[in-house]
Amino acid sequence: MTELMSFMPPLPVLAGQLLIGLINGSFYALLSLGLAIIFGLLQIVNFAHGAQYMMGALCSYVLLTWLGVGYWPALILAPLIVGSFGVVLERVFIRHLYHLHHMYGMLLTFGFALVIEGCVRQRMGSSGNTYPVPSALAGGWKLAFTYLPAYRLWVIGISLTVCLATWYLIEKTRLGSVLRAATERPDLTRSFGINVPKLVMLTYGFGVALAALAGTMAAPIYSINAQMGSEIIIVVFAVVVIGGMGSIKGAIISGFGLGIAEGLTKTFYPQASTTIVFVIMVLVLLLRPAGLFGTSEQQAPNSSLSGDVSLDFMNVAVRRTLVAVSIAAGLAAPFVVYPVFGMKVLCFALFASAFNLLLGFGGLMSFGHAAFYGTASYVAAYTVKTMGFDPMFGILAAMTVVGMMGLAFGYLAIRRHGIYFAMVTLALAQMVYFFAVQAPFTHNDEGIQGVPRGHLFGLINLENQLTMYYFVFAIVLLGLITIWRIVNSPFGYVLKSVRENEARAISLGYDTDRCKLLAFVLSAVLAAVAGALDALVFQLASLTNVHWSMSGHALLMSILGGVGTLSGPILGAIIVAGMENYLASLGSWVNIVHGMIFIGCVMVFRRGIVGEIAFRLGARRSVSRSRREPAAASGAIAASLSSQP
Amino acid sequence: MNANILETRGLSKSFGGFYAVRGVNLRVRSGTIHALIGPNGAGKTTVFNLLTKFLQPTQGEIRYDGYDITLRKPSHVARMGMVRSFQISAIFPHLTVRDNLRVALQRRLGTTFHFWRSGRMLDQLDDRADELLSSVGLSDVSNEVAMNLPYGRRRALEIATTLSLDPKLLLLDEPMSGLGREDIGVVSNLIRQVNQTHTVLMVEHNLSVVAELSDAITVMARGRVLAEGSYADISKNPEVRTAYIGSAHA
Repeated sequence: MTELMSFMPPLPVLAGQLLIGLINGSFYALLSLGLAIIFGLLQIVNFAHGAQYMMGALCSYVLLTWLGVGYWPALILAPLIVGSFGVVLERVFIRHLYHLHHMYGMLLTFGFALVIEGCVRQRMGSSGNTYPVPSALAGGWKLAFTYLPAYRLWVIGISLTVCLATWYLIEKTRLGSVLRAATERPDLTRSFGINVPKLVMLTYGFGVALAALAGTMAAPIYSINAQMGSEIIIVVFAVVVIGGMGSIKGAIISGFGLGIAEGLTKTFYPQASTTIVFVIMVLVLLLRPAGLFGTSEQQAPNSSLSGDVSLDFMNVAVRRTLVAVSIAAGLAAPFVVYPVFGMKVLCFALFASAFNLLLGFGGLMSFGHAAFYGTASYVAAYTVKTMGFDPMFGILAAMTVVGMMGLAFGYLAIRRHGIYFAMVTLALAQMVYFFAVQAPFTHNDEGIQGVPRGHLFGLINLENQLTMYYFVFAIVLLGLITIWRIVNSPFGYVLKSVRENEARAISLGYDTDRCKLLAFVLSAVLAAVAGALDALVFQLASLTNVHWSMSGHALLMSILGGVGTLSGPILGAIIVAGMENYLASLGSWVNIVHGMIFIGCVMVFRRGIVGEIAFRLGARRSVSRSRREPAAASGAIAASLSSQP
Repeated sequence: MNANILETRGLSKSFGGFYAVRGVNLRVRSGTIHALIGPNGAGKTTVFNLLTKFLQPTQGEIRYDGYDITLRKPSHVARMGMVRSFQISAIFPHLTVRDNLRVALQRRLGTTFHFWRSGRMLDQLDDRADELLSSVGLSDVSNEVAMNLPYGRRRALEIATTLSLDPKLLLLDEPMSGLGREDIGVVSNLIRQVNQTHTVLMVEHNLSVVAELSDAITVMARGRVLAEGSYADISKNPEVRTAYIGSAHA
């Protein structure tokens, strides 16, 4: 017993970390509660939740320091203001998406998050502000073993009270039963004379207000800055994956529980404190895939994300001509544009195409491809610079490492469907990001600099800009051909059938999990090629490539160009890289523009550029066809069989 | 040779304490058309999902073709020759009609994971696919995208896809739902035709179809088996009458 005690850290340290854990837990609980409520009724994962939390903090800061409103009114006002903002978002944008796949809601709110964060950064910079603890809550109590600041106790108390009150409201009151009924059967609930759209609108507002309340309370403890929201939201997603979003109680308990787990880790093994929640998530996925409080999920929704474009709209001759023209343009490009820019476009094109292989043809939306791109950059940079690898072997090393990583991540992520898949991949990628921040060989913010491009097979000097361009061009072209081949291979057909209707594919005898895993690994390895090339082109591997915003880039390029098309992501890459190049001087405006593109694509342009063109051409064709042979609605089988002998 | 191709013992499934299916003993004889009927909420579809392993039973065991399949994966069961259809026509909407069949036929080639080969190798399946399409009268639309087919023809496509696997046991989940009277006659004939070579287990609401087609009927109510036998036996059973009239079902 005494031996055990000697391993224990001093009591004050433990108590202090537990307190911090409880505080964090309070915020996790409030945020995941808001997410759970919104998801329950709207079936939308509110990606803007972190940004709205940040808005709460910012709003109360503005109220307090600029407008001179006291803390107590601000505590009520800030959630009200931000909540009303949420109501406006719901009315103007979100309500148009209820009939669509869950993913669109997640993408739309991701766009909101980018715009909000970008605007705040544009106005305030990324440095932090803070405001003082209200005087009534200043000070604290000196206990036997620790100091207990009054404000922190207050935060925990309020958060617990709000959580329990919300739970009571939903589980035990009439309003709550109406809410639950509307979740199950909106049509039926409406026929009872209940205004469901209004209920949905207010629910979203309430969920957002909870996030803002958390932000308001967090402001005096943490510094207020533009990125505080995106940092916490990824952890909260992991919390939600652990707890399961179906249960209010689960959201609260796992929120507090994981906060405490984080606090304890900080005491015993500080290095792991940023990743412990993700590690727990991995364990839960392995042992209890549905989440601690989740019941077994239904089958994946059958509607596919987009992919409703048949690309046979061009005849073979036209298509061949287009491909030839594109290749010619790629070969001529370094004489027209700056070669480094051209190479960036190429890297992005391969990255987006690899990502789209998974999303467009496998129907799996990964929010974690930055992990593959970034890790590949690090592996290539490290092996080439430190270990003296040939550039080609650097790329192969990156493919190998990332391939194994893809296998592990894929194995975990395919245990969940749809939005959960997206959240799991995001959380796993964040774990990689934290690893990159802490591991010594990545040199943190500086990155691995001065990576030599070297001589290809010891012969061809890649330091020459033009030679390097054609090297990159050749590899990327090979990568794109590989993707084309995969899509049109026997496996590609099976993969498409899994995307179209997973249950049916299973009933045909296909092991769909294994199909998805293979697609995931292939996509990761191809993304790795792009990431490794990136490191060689820029002679740098940095945290940028492994940051979640890089996953956002892949999504943006695919969706803008056209999910489920082969040329769409390439076009998307040209546009996104171009924007980054020419808008770079405008700072955070890039984020805002990206966010607006997400919003625009989801609201009006879901097929993307190439998809839209294909659809228009295809639509014209099928109209003329249906004029020729009017489809019989019923009795069709009879009609067709009667001609049989 | 086992006369029963499918047999369950004490099959039960509970969802959070509520038993949707409880203690079901089902025996499907080889070569028959066996119907599973009962009022709404009787647990028929749950039984289907349990048999095809889309749900894991809480208790009980399932034997198919002499093997205990209680713990098998759904895709494995399908490969053993027990293939199901779905209430909502299960097709691949964005693939062409012929590709719908090719995907089903492809599994036998063992090329599921061959991502490096050309899709042209699948052309060898075209003859068989076209043969199956013509057997259900879909030859004229083989290049059409499946989602453009009217409802009745989607059902025909689904049945053709199911048949393409050459299953030993077909599980049809409400094959007549959503069909007009004319199509019902056609699908009935199709099922009878299929039955010459295959065993069929179907859930069906349309009692006249059941009466006409089935060799044996199992009636379920509130998760349990209420009665079993031929249509004549079943229709005389007072409990069955109560269950149906009690739930105001046709």
